[in-house]
Amino acid sequence: MWGAKRPNSRRSASIGIVSVALLVASACSGSSSTAAPAATTAPGATAATTALTGDLTWWGWTPTADLATQMIAGFNKVYPNVKVTFVSKPIDSYDSVLGPAITSSKGPDVFNVAPGSLNGGVSQFAPGAIDMTPAITAALGSDWKTKVAPAGVDPMTVGGKLVGLQVGAVYSGWMWINQDIFDKYSLKAPTTLAEWKTVCSTLKTNGVGCFVQGAGQWAFDMDTFEAICENIAPDLYTQAAQGKVKWTDPRFAQAMANWKSLFDQGIMQDGAVGLQQYPDANNLFLSGKYAMVMMGSWYTSNTVKETMVNGMTAAGVTSPTPITIMPIPFPDLAGSGKTGTMFGDADYGLAVSAKSSQQEAAKAFAIWIATSQAGQQVVANTLNLIPALKGVGAQWDQINLVNPSKQLTALQAYQTTAVSSISQRLGDVSADLNTAFRDALIGMASGQKTADQALQGLQAVQDAAK
Amino acid sequence: MSTAPAHETLGRPVNATGRPRGRSSPLGSRLSGLPWILPAIVLVIGLIYFPIGYLGYASTLNWNGFILSTPTSIGDANYAKMFGDPVFWNALWHTVFFYVITFSVQTFIGFTFAAVMHSRIRLGNLYKAIVFVPVVLAPATMAPVFRQIFDQFGQFNWLLSSIGLGSLTRPWLADPTTAMPVIMFITVWEWTGLTFVLYYAAMSQLSPEILEAARVDGAGNFRTLRSIVWPMCRGTTAALAVLGLIGALKTFDIPYLVTHGGPNHGTEFLGTYIYYTMAQGKHFGYAATLAIALLVLAVAGGVLLRISTSRSDKE
Amino acid sequence: MFDIHGRWSRLGLQLLATLMILPFLAPLVFGLQGSLGGLGLGNYAKVWNTGIVPTVFMNSAIISVCTIAIVYACTMLAAFGFSKLRIMGREVWFWAILAALTVPEAVILTPLFVVASNFDLYDELIAVILPLAALQVPFTILIARNFFDGVPNEIMEAARVDGANGLQVFWSIVLPLTRPITAAIIVFTLISSWNSYLLPMLMLTDQSKQVVTLLPSFFTSQYTNDQTGVLAAAVITAVPEVLVYLLFQKSFERGLSAGALK
Repeated sequence: MWGAKRPNSRRSASIGIVSVALLVASACSGSSSTAAPAATTAPGATAATTALTGDLTWWGWTPTADLATQMIAGFNKVYPNVKVTFVSKPIDSYDSVLGPAITSSKGPDVFNVAPGSLNGGVSQFAPGAIDMTPAITAALGSDWKTKVAPAGVDPMTVGGKLVGLQVGAVYSGWMWINQDIFDKYSLKAPTTLAEWKTVCSTLKTNGVGCFVQGAGQWAFDMDTFEAICENIAPDLYTQAAQGKVKWTDPRFAQAMANWKSLFDQGIMQDGAVGLQQYPDANNLFLSGKYAMVMMGSWYTSNTVKETMVNGMTAAGVTSPTPITIMPIPFPDLAGSGKTGTMFGDADYGLAVSAKSSQQEAAKAFAIWIATSQAGQQVVANTLNLIPALKGVGAQWDQINLVNPSKQLTALQAYQTTAVSSISQRLGDVSADLNTAFRDALIGMASGQKTADQALQGLQAVQDAAK
Repeated sequence: MSTAPAHETLGRPVNATGRPRGRSSPLGSRLSGLPWILPAIVLVIGLIYFPIGYLGYASTLNWNGFILSTPTSIGDANYAKMFGDPVFWNALWHTVFFYVITFSVQTFIGFTFAAVMHSRIRLGNLYKAIVFVPVVLAPATMAPVFRQIFDQFGQFNWLLSSIGLGSLTRPWLADPTTAMPVIMFITVWEWTGLTFVLYYAAMSQLSPEILEAARVDGAGNFRTLRSIVWPMCRGTTAALAVLGLIGALKTFDIPYLVTHGGPNHGTEFLGTYIYYTMAQGKHFGYAATLAIALLVLAVAGGVLLRISTSRSDKE
Repeated sequence: MFDIHGRWSRLGLQLLATLMILPFLAPLVFGLQGSLGGLGLGNYAKVWNTGIVPTVFMNSAIISVCTIAIVYACTMLAAFGFSKLRIMGREVWFWAILAALTVPEAVILTPLFVVASNFDLYDELIAVILPLAALQVPFTILIARNFFDGVPNEIMEAARVDGANGLQVFWSIVLPLTRPITAAIIVFTLISSWNSYLLPMLMLTDQSKQVVTLLPSFFTSQYTNDQTGVLAAAVITAVPEVLVYLLFQKSFERGLSAGALK
């Protein structure tokens, strides 16, 4: 072999090789810069707020870019010299990405956290955030806990540390229907399983889908299941998640049977477990192919004409006529007569990174969004979230509903019901319980698990957590 | 040959690497090639082997993966858990099944298509490009499209109904028994281009004389393909078998994006299970354990396949 | 390969080829169709209006070019070394590199982050480039070594007799022969670096450093999911790769035939 002969100049060869590699490496470490904010001062700003400067980065899986822009614009009227850049991070990888980032000074200054253990869970990220108690006390007074929704207090606190300031809450437990379809076939919102089946068979005869659920995305299965549980005994689900009631309780066996009946009685569309709630079920509902869907209070924003048109366009409808959607209580599957309750908790809160070098500006931003009248009004008017600050509600006269005569009163009642909920949605669900719910609910739906097996799986996780 | 002396050399200044080591002939050192492979070695050791070591350590921890959270050491409990975990064994079984099917189908289509493309075909370049384009596209790009195609109202069901097979229509992703074939179909769709290109390349190496000789002997097209072309492409097949096995063990993107490993773990693979355990289940230590198992399997599988194919080469 | 006589058998073969590519073509067509749903071409305008299209294309281009350069340098040197030079424990090193093929990107993200922050490279493009190169090098070394094995030793022997040293032989004799395999290395490395998603998402935090694979995620968030925008973004992202492939198609195929996998 040629290599057996020794090269004369190994040394220069080595140096050559190494320097080529170094050259390539150094040519590749580029850098960049960001532009300065365009400041416009407005009424509401004081000398102190104007004096505060900063250039913040805010990370979240929500809100949408449009909404974030509105929120930041409102903030900049008061704090004209603090620039905020919202960076939307995909929900599925939020935790993987946020983890490293907030241990570095190059990470975000402000980041979203959520109650429970799904993306951005407070217990996971508490070590990377500062305690917001002093800031909120300064903003709202020492009785701040009475001024904000309870969903933003305990579920956002880890070991005495207020990790995030709740921006707003979401509630679930009711469904949404396409009123235009219901009207067309002179149907009434179902209140029992029998009525629900009648509605579905009428729709099917007319070639319209009835109820659509992306049952492959089990977070929404958990909503439906909790709604079923609420119907059997309000707050039962939350108590079990807190370990006060066993999942093997016979009432849950009934709930599982009810859950299964949705699949067996032709209410769930065929192949539900193969679909995701987003994008599949959402797009099927918005494009008018199905008449009912299990979505929570965040869906209220689809009653706004513009949002609905955008949503329908995004679902692939060409030049859409916005549809009228209405919230309806979950039907009385159990025959208990207890219907209409909802459950919910903080959708997200804003946390300030302990590694941020601009904590003052970051705190000012979080406080303004979460506790100021003006900031919370922006949140309220998008109808996406129910604001955290008590006394702030949507300004309906400024909102362009698709069909105000039908929707307005219903929506007001809906929001009143939502804020009076006592049960939690995700706050007490641990990561392992969440996984167990996936296996239990999808296993039941596809007939691969019995109710006993499913419930024992849930209880096993609950026992292990003790 | 042990790696120890070579490793020792690695730490020294580069110009010292060539020092004769006695055994060599006066003209050539056995180490003379080391500086040439050094950049690649440094890159791979530093960026791949360090993480592997780290995973080995993490596999003994109970840790949520967040740098600021304190892990607790739990010894080999994660390994014990793995051996008793039905989802792990399920994922392994899926991988084997998936590998056998996708590899066979890809090889068959890729090989046939390469042979066809070596014949006189119009628009050959366009056809080749179409088959290869899926290799180029990011799986994330195409996942939503496939979800739509195999949906209840998707194009696939439409196709079935329009050719009179309406009774077969169903939501393909909703049942594990049909979701797995869909995952395999997408994989074949994505990677056959690579198989094809490699066979195509191997075939252009064959000397026309041999084929001519076969034809003179009266061998037909299929006979020639089977008894002459196919055996001569054995090297390519063997390499593809190893790459395919590694690819199958690493399968992640397609099941993750199309079915999320479901329904009911029906399309769960080691890759998706590891990612899920780490990102959503928050059990980094256990995910690391699964990752180590994957590495061991991949290396063992690769070596076994390599040995068996090189043995059959010699025969 | 097929020895075809007569019009009908040629037509038959053409038909067979067409039937074989249809399943490959159809999903591509459906994807394009989907990207034109709702607003039609307006979806593309929507992607452009995110305002980050030039930035992300620039960053992806930098990452791809640099990854290709590093992979190319490491691969050529190593493949030449493995194929033509004597190295202590050569096969052990070779297999150690090949074994790295088995490592899935997702599972080494956390350790890679630890490396990156130790060297203060977090949020620098290089923190994406180096791991991408490390993940790619095993495969390219595999195909390049086969290529070098096919280069006759005699060519180099002759040069050695003329008194050229190893580097000179490599530079003036071997490298010019490697043009075909270069195309293959470029195409493969471009595919993996341009399509990389998890690494850039983890390592690059600054908005000005984002890459093309993040474009589709602009149209999804927790409670919205604009499929038309996602698909339009995906199409835009894929165009440069398809173009590069078409551009290199001929030499890419030639390179693989010379190196191939044997």
